[in-house]
Amino acid sequence: MTKRIFRSIVLVSGLVLLIGLGFMLAVFRQYFDGQLQKELKQEASYLSLAVEEGGTDALKNLSSQSERVTLIQEDGTVLFDNKADPSTMENHKDREEIQQAIQNGYGEATRLSSTLGEETVYYAVKLEDGTILRVSTTQYTVISIVLGMLQPVLWIVVLLLILAGIFASRASKAIVEPLNKLDLDNPDLNEPYEEVAPLLGKIGHQQRTIRRQLKDARRQQEEFAMITGHMEEGLLMIDKQTDLLSWNPSALRLLGSKEAKAERSVLSLNRTEPFQKVVETALSGSRAETLLPVNGRFCRISANPVFDEEAVKGAVLLLVDVTESMERENLRREFTANVSHELKTPLTSISGFAEILQGGLVQPKDIQKFAGRIFDEAQRLIVLVSDVIKISQLDEGNVPYESETVDLGEMAKTILDRLSPEAEKNHISLQLEGTAQIQTVKPILEEVLYNLCDNAVKYNRKDGKVTVSIRQGEDSLILSVSDTGIGIPAGDQPRIFERFYRVDKSHSKEIGGTGLGLSIVKHGAAYLGAALSLESFPNEGSTFTLRFPMPLEKADNSAQKEQAQ
Amino acid sequence: MRVKFDEQLKELHVELIKMGSLCEEAISLAAKALEGGPQAKGLAARVSPLEFEIDQKEREIEGRCMRLLLQQQPVATDLRTVSAALRMISDLERIGDQAADIAELTPYITEEAAQKELPLSEMARYAVSMVTGSVDAFVREDLELAQKIMDEDDKVDAIFSRIKEELIRCIMENILEPKAVLDLLMAAKYFERIADHAVNVAEWVEYSITGVHKSSEHHGNIGQDMP
Repeated sequence: MTKRIFRSIVLVSGLVLLIGLGFMLAVFRQYFDGQLQKELKQEASYLSLAVEEGGTDALKNLSSQSERVTLIQEDGTVLFDNKADPSTMENHKDREEIQQAIQNGYGEATRLSSTLGEETVYYAVKLEDGTILRVSTTQYTVISIVLGMLQPVLWIVVLLLILAGIFASRASKAIVEPLNKLDLDNPDLNEPYEEVAPLLGKIGHQQRTIRRQLKDARRQQEEFAMITGHMEEGLLMIDKQTDLLSWNPSALRLLGSKEAKAERSVLSLNRTEPFQKVVETALSGSRAETLLPVNGRFCRISANPVFDEEAVKGAVLLLVDVTESMERENLRREFTANVSHELKTPLTSISGFAEILQGGLVQPKDIQKFAGRIFDEAQRLIVLVSDVIKISQLDEGNVPYESETVDLGEMAKTILDRLSPEAEKNHISLQLEGTAQIQTVKPILEEVLYNLCDNAVKYNRKDGKVTVSIRQGEDSLILSVSDTGIGIPAGDQPRIFERFYRVDKSHSKEIGGTGLGLSIVKHGAAYLGAALSLESFPNEGSTFTLRFPMPLEKADNSAQKEQAQ
Repeated sequence: MRVKFDEQLKELHVELIKMGSLCEEAISLAAKALEGGPQAKGLAARVSPLEFEIDQKEREIEGRCMRLLLQQQPVATDLRTVSAALRMISDLERIGDQAADIAELTPYITEEAAQKELPLSEMARYAVSMVTGSVDAFVREDLELAQKIMDEDDKVDAIFSRIKEELIRCIMENILEPKAVLDLLMAAKYFERIADHAVNVAEWVEYSITGVHKSSEHHGNIGQDMP
């Protein structure tokens, strides 16, 4: 822009200079022409006076240095010329100025002379005797004047042009400077030229729009990143070259990959065959789903193709960790299988005994024994079914009981009393330490405590001991049941709370029980919000501890010892 | 033109990942089959079709590389990538072959290996992890991991010599039949070779990233004078 302004200024000043020079020349020439003609006329009139007074001789003394003077007869014959021999000169009658002088008494003409760049100006006067006196002088033509003045004029022009250049450059810089100094970030604060104001206004408006849109876009992006970043499911977006476009941390975690880079193939995250297939299927335009085992966990991947005008543009992959639901599914399946098996065993016995009775193969005195067997097995079935119902209820979380204040010591005492006949058989002593009030769901706590005590008695040795202790912990109420029994091997400890799991599978029949007791304890404790822990050493005994979270002052901890037996 | 080339390079990369994944599967199947068990036979049988697929892949990738070299005439890093890919596939193909060889040996080995306390499964674990690691290094362009793979080779070599000494002792003391010893030795050697190839792959990964190949220490000078 500076350049352009500079060029225009220089051009304009150059043009003005040249045109001005032309006009000046024209005007000056006009003026000099007039002056010259006036002088010629005067000279002619003086000379004519002289000739009329003194005849032709008056002219003889004229030097040849002065203007050319010619005397011509009426018929055109040259009588005298101060610069040439009259006899050699041709007839002058046809000359324009002579003709004019013959007719009007005077005449004038200008003719280009044979010499380049000069012209001759003639003035002729008719004398009284009819002869014509002509005075002529040569003067430079415009071209020759111009040519003659060329050098100085050129110098002047060059000088002026340089000056014009300097001024033009300053002027153009001065014009452009405010434009250069525009603060485009805050276009409204500028006050340069009126002409650029609408432009600045527009820029300002657009900047605000862009800023707003950028802010919106950023906010949306942040929202999206926040959502995808915090969601449990993995999300991957890929283009049709399988290159990653977007991913979230969960996706990397689920695929067992540490880092991802944009523009890198999604197969760099996981290159197992099922994953490859899912990606391929999605990119070929159809939905795909697979179950991918990654580092011991299971991940369900659903891949959906993304279409843009019928063509596949890429795919979106959603990854969900289904390990737990699969485990749960497995547990349920196992549970069903176990329940069926456990239910079938007593039923088979019942059916067998009944069949023998039906066949009449039993002696009357044995009928009672057989009926007793059938009764026992039926009882077992009832206990099992009611245990299953309890566990299902706890599992589903819909327990039809209300919370109430329970005296733990009393409850424990009742349970121990119920178990004392069984305990006496093996000379097991039952002990209760401490008591407390607790707000809880009574039937469930009773079930949990009964199962624990029942196990403690069942899996005890002869002359053993079972201790139920209730005491106040730091911020919880601690209820523990210890026995001096066979204990649980460390390897089995994590599994004993599973349904139907038995440490000693071969003797389960003798000891009895459904195999659901500890499972009920676990679920019940979870329902009551108590933490369940186990400490056990083989052949030394086990201690099951329940911790009910509870503020200290509420506990009514009387350290009285009560001998239950 | 450049866009097309980038696309082709990317496709090459993806194909290499796929081939690497096939190799991983082949070797881990072979290693699992070697551990014995009731499924060993089924596992071993799955290796040979995989090996066939690996060979197919090698030819396909080779074709791709040739087309890239001829049509795009890559220079600098791109040329390095393509030439490294060409070398890498032959190593991967050898890994596939050796996995198949191990799978073929399994019916003769399982019982004896089970009886004898040989660190063969440890070796197999190392080999599998090295192959996985080298493919990982390639996929993630992970120089550090590639370096780790190269260092791990010594451990495999050490286990191999331990197995060799153990087997010699077995022959001397007549614990095992010589035939079984030979089969065991072959399997161990195959694993050792697989580890070597994994190291080669790792070296090519290093080369394609840094432009410097470890060849001066290991294989004479290939690549050093490459552009």
